[in-house]
Parts: sequence; structure tokens; C-alpha cells
Amino acid sequence: MRWLLAGLLFALAVSLAIGTAALRASNTCQRHQVEQAYRQVGGRIVELRRLSVRRLEVASTEQLAVRHWRALRAEFDRSVEWRQ
Amino acid sequence: MMRGELARVRLAFAGLGIVPVFLAGWLGWLQVVQAGEIERGGRAPLRLVPETADRQAQRSEALPAPRGTIVDRSGALLALDCESYEVRANLLVPRDERASAARFRLWLLQFADRVATALANDDEFTDREAARKEHRERLERAVARAFAFAELPAEGALPDKHPVRADLLLANGVDSLAVIEALQRLVAQKGYKHVALDFLRSFQRRYPERELTHGLVGHVRTSWQETASGAKKLVTQGACGLETFRVLAAESSTSRGFLRDGVGRNYFLSPVLDMPQPNVLHTTIDLELQGIAIRELKAQATLAPQTGKGALPKWGAMVLVEIATGDVMAAAAWHRDEDNLENAAFTPYQTLYEPGSIVKPLVLAYAYEAGVLDWGHEFDCAPGSSEYRERIAGLGRRRPVRDDHDCSRLTPHGILVNSSNIGAAYAGLLLSREQWADYMDFYGLRSSLGLAMPSEGRAGTNPRSFAADVPLRSFRANSAISFSFGYEMQATAMHIARAYLRLFRGRSAELRLCRGVEVDGRYQGVPQAADTGPRFRPDVVDAVRAAMVDVVSNDPHATGVHMHARMLKELGIDLHGVIGGKTGTAVSSVGVKGGGSVEMRNASFVGFLPAEQPRWLAVCVLQRDSRGTFYGGSYAAPPVVRLLLQCQQLEQRRYWQQEASNGADGQVGSGLVTPGDSGWGRGAPGTTR
Repeated sequence: MRWLLAGLLFALAVSLAIGTAALRASNTCQRHQVEQAYRQVGGRIVELRRLSVRRLEVASTEQLAVRHWRALRAEFDRSVEWRQ
Repeated sequence: MMRGELARVRLAFAGLGIVPVFLAGWLGWLQVVQAGEIERGGRAPLRLVPETADRQAQRSEALPAPRGTIVDRSGALLALDCESYEVRANLLVPRDERASAARFRLWLLQFADRVATALANDDEFTDREAARKEHRERLERAVARAFAFAELPAEGALPDKHPVRADLLLANGVDSLAVIEALQRLVAQKGYKHVALDFLRSFQRRYPERELTHGLVGHVRTSWQETASGAKKLVTQGACGLETFRVLAAESSTSRGFLRDGVGRNYFLSPVLDMPQPNVLHTTIDLELQGIAIRELKAQATLAPQTGKGALPKWGAMVLVEIATGDVMAAAAWHRDEDNLENAAFTPYQTLYEPGSIVKPLVLAYAYEAGVLDWGHEFDCAPGSSEYRERIAGLGRRRPVRDDHDCSRLTPHGILVNSSNIGAAYAGLLLSREQWADYMDFYGLRSSLGLAMPSEGRAGTNPRSFAADVPLRSFRANSAISFSFGYEMQATAMHIARAYLRLFRGRSAELRLCRGVEVDGRYQGVPQAADTGPRFRPDVVDAVRAAMVDVVSNDPHATGVHMHARMLKELGIDLHGVIGGKTGTAVSSVGVKGGGSVEMRNASFVGFLPAEQPRWLAVCVLQRDSRGTFYGGSYAAPPVVRLLLQCQQLEQRRYWQQEASNGADGQVGSGLVTPGDSGWGRGAPGTTR
């Protein structure tokens, strides 16, 4: 009986050790994934800023005026072609 | 339990018991027998303490602080730091690829080619193939240098101790998600498991309206600098313009910790908690008006050759100022011989010129205020008149004073409308030498602008003008008369704008380019001086203003008559009573390198709007280094008038459209929570900053 209890306690200790190691490994794995997600978010923040500045450049008064004139000219050309 | 069975159980438990005994023994060996240290060749012994284990796993990435953001008076972004990555690779050539020198070289060149392909995977490139080629050539050079290709044999085995690992800079300023993901996909491939990429955080300076802000906003320069500890680090600082303001300098950087295992996998430890936010410099510039000023100046400067009336000017400058605050709303520069505007002088505050007749209202206003000039008195401004002979020729001046057209009897009002040099000289001779010195100081015509911008031109007179050993008679015959119509002195366009600002607001009125700064999210406005010092009597200002209003009229002798007629024809607007102004034309000899001199012609114009209660004033200067007619009224006035009219239209449009404008505290919205803050430095949700 004594040996049986000792064996069970040993098995419990081993189980606890394995369980702890598994939990830590799982924790590490999750943290690795969080780190990857964190860095991906960082990459998207960089992209967001790049696109927002690009939009600002495209939407400047000069650029909008150029695009407006281009559209008007295209419309004018279309109407001339249609008349011909 | 049987005896044999008992023995087996004891054996099994004894075997299991050996494990902790072994571990305890190993611990004792390392910590006691080896005294807690491991020898490392050529380096300090590695101490076997828990901190060492932690240190080997702990990593931190530097998070440089961004430079401040610059916005215009409506919050439009002029300059900001955008997050980007510096991508470095820790490259270990796999063992199989080290079999021969040729294979070694081929593997590295293939890697360079694939990285170049990934770096060119940016939709901003119009020609991706060209970009890829450029990256490939650069990376091939970097790889060849890092892995000593020069020492590699063409064939055969790799030499012993040839470098097989290196740290390479793959690219700077990577800010495209497509590129980042392409690089990550590349190193995730089977053949590149020994390649570790590091995306180091950095910033790229961006200027959304670069063509409009070269001179005013300026640019930055990044260079290696030595720190107090002797280490070197890259430092970015302003090289010119508003970028040199200290408030924009990046604050101390911070870092973020994470963990890394033996094969380079990163583990999350914590987000960034104390990332410094960029300061914001709120300028007085109005981006829309800035664009108009640049276009108008360029159009006028390039007009002369198009119409067959002379050559291109050498340079031009235009400034728009809000009179109530002294805010510089727009400042434009134009150069004939300088394509790279980054290298060019910013003429509005850096280029000096002889202002000419544009200063006459300033002289007459000062003389009237000083009580030496009667505004109703008539002067005989005819060139051969007895008054001329007595008051000017009698002084012994070598060069006679002439007018562009012959004038007769003129009041000070008429002197300004006709821009009579003789009349201005009469008024100037009423002032004493001390009063002339005070005149210069009152209008700031021999001091810097005080804008704290680098390489500001400092206005001034000829060094001998006020020399104590110059006899009074000589001073009156030369300097006093020359000062009266803007010669023997030099100023920038902004000096002239400030001088007129002082005419309207007082001796201490100053121009300003900065409305306030935002530090840690708190806005601090630049305080405006409530008291702008001694100012002219209202009747003095009104008298001069009325004369300047009549300069822009259909009076055939008014110097603004051509511009008046032209605007009536072009815009259908009778400018008389709408805009006031004064023309200036000067011809100066400027010494050139190697001896000799060139005759420079300066055409300038100062205008204000509305004529009755001026709110804005603008100054334009164009300088030409060739002969031919070049009058302020014809060349410098039109862009000023158009700019002022568009300024008024814009004001009305904004009023009706309720466009974004600054609030009572001076703060403006810019579309982002804080200009320049993308959220990169924010902590994870739930964390506090």
C-alpha cells in the first residue's frame, strides 16, 4: 500500500510537471501568435498612415482641380464626337 | 509482494530517483565547481545567474520618437513623420549551400533577387521592373560586400573561415503593407529558415504639399552624430525653414521589450506604454493662399517672354500678411536659374534688394507724424524749379534727382500718387539725421525679421550712411535723399511687409509664422502683443492710405494706372477704392564675382485690401538682370492684386461654406485625433498611457 501511494504521488508529480510544461508551452505558443498579430497590426498602421498621406496628396486643391478639368475636357470631347 | 517483485520495484524507483540526483549534481557542477561562470574565448566569462538566462531571451526594439508635425492655419498637414520600417536581415547561408563557392554565391544572389522582387511589390511604383532592377543591383553589391565575394574563388570549395553569416540592411523606409507581407512570405519559405528579418521601426518625413512649401517649411537632414558616451547615432534635424524649430525635434526615444527563443521566434511581452507623441507646430500659413501666391508669382514671372516684352526676371518673391495679427499667410519664391527648389534661397526673407519708391509712403508718413511735413503744403517738383535748385541741387549732390515723368506742384498726396522722387526728396530733407535713424528703426529697416528662421536676410543701409565722421551736409546731399526713394538701403520682401504692418499697427508690430504649438496634446498659443508700441496718429495713416488708394486709379499720372486699366479689362473690376498700393522701381548696380557689376532692375508693389479698412497686405518683388522697361506697376502689381482679390474671395467662400477654421483657443481639427499620431505608439486596448 505504501509503495502504491508513493507510485501514485510520483505519477501525480510527473503529471503536474508535464501539465505545467504543456501549459507553459501553450502559453509561449499563444504569446508567439500575439506577437505576430501585434507586428501585423504595426504593419497595417504603417500602411494606414501611408495611404492617408497619399489620399491627402491626391485630394489637394490642385489635384482636384486637375481632375475636374480632365473630366470636363473628356466630357467636352465626348460631346464633340457625339455631334460629329 | 514477492521478493523478486520488490527488487524490481526498488530498482525502478531507484532509476527514477537517479534523475533528480543527476540534476542536483549538474547544478552543483555548474554553480559550485565551475563557480557560476563559463569561459568565452576573447570575451568576459558568462556568469550563470538567472539574469543571464533572462537576458538571453529578452530583446527590445528601439522606438524612435517622431519629429513634430507642421500644420497650416486650418490644420492641413504640411510636414509629418510617417511610420516606416528599416528592414534588416540576419543571414546564415545553409550548410548545403556552402558546398562550393559557386553554389554559395548563387544562393546569395538568388536571395538578393527575391528580396528585390519583394521590395518592388509596391503599387506606388509606376515602373516596378525598373524599381526591381535598382533594388537588385543595390542588394547584390551589399551581399558581395558582406560575404566577401572578392575573396571567393570562381570554382571549388569555399575557403576556410569565409564569412557565412552577415547582418544586411535590406531597405529603408518600407511603408507598404504589400512589401512587408512579401518579405515575410519570402523568409517563411523552406529554403530561408536561416534568414531572420528584423523590421526596425523608424520614420519617414513626408510633405503632402511639397511644391508649395519648399522654402517656408524647409526640409530635414539625417546624419551620424556622436553622443556623449562616444557612440554614434543617426540624428534627424531641420536643415532650413520651419523644420529648424526646436519644438519639432524628436523627444527621447523609447523601447518595447519582447522575448525571443534560440531560433529567433519572438514572443509577446508587452505593448508600448509610453511612446512620445509628436509635437505640433501650428503655422500661420494658409495652404490654399500659398498655392495661389506661388501660381500667381510664377505666372507673372514667366509672362514677359511669352508676350515678347523682355527676358525672364532673375528671381521673384511675394508675401501675404494679415494686418490684425501680423500672420504671414503666404510666401512664395520663384527662381529663373534654379530647378531644385530645395537648394534655392527662399527669396521672401533671404534675398535683399533695393526697394526703391515702394518706401515713399513710409517716409512721408514718418515726416508727417514727426510734424515736419504739412500734408497740405505744395512742393514744386519740376526738375528745373527754383525750389529744386535751392533745396536739392544746392546741397552739392553729384547725381541729379529725376522723376519718371515731369511733375509740377504736388502735395504729399500727389507726390505719392505720381511717385515723384523730387517730392519725396523734399520730404526726406525735412528729417534730421537722428530722425532718419529712428525712421529705420521704427520700420525695422536695419534689423532682422526675428522669425527665427535660418539665413534670414538682415535689412540695412550702406555702412557709411550713418557713420559719425560723415558731415551732415554730405548725409543730407546723399543718404537722406537716397533713403527718400528707397536707395542706399537693402531689405527683403518680408521687411517691406513688416514696415507697412508697422505703418498700420505700430512700432512693435512683428510678422509671425507660428501661431502656437501643441505639446503632449496641450495647445499653447503664441501670445500676441496687445501693445504694438507707439503708432502713428489715425489722421497720418488715413492720409497715406488715401494717397495709396489713389495710386491704383485711372489718374493718368498715377503709377498704378496701367495695372488699373489691365484689371478692368481682364477681371472687369474697377480697382479704385478697392485696393490701395504703391509701386516701386529701382535700378541698382550689383557687383559680381570676378569684378565688374550688373545692372539690376527691381520691380515691386505693395498692396492692401480692403482700401478703407485694410485687412491684408501683400508685397511682390521681381528682379531682372537685363535692360528694358521693368516697372513695379506693370510687373509686380498684377500678382499682388490677384492674390488679394482671391484672398477676399476665399474668406467669403469659407464664411458661407463654414469650412474648417481655427477655434477660439487657436486649435484646429486636422482629420486625425492628433496630427501626426497614427496610433502606432498607442498601447493595446485596456492599457493606460
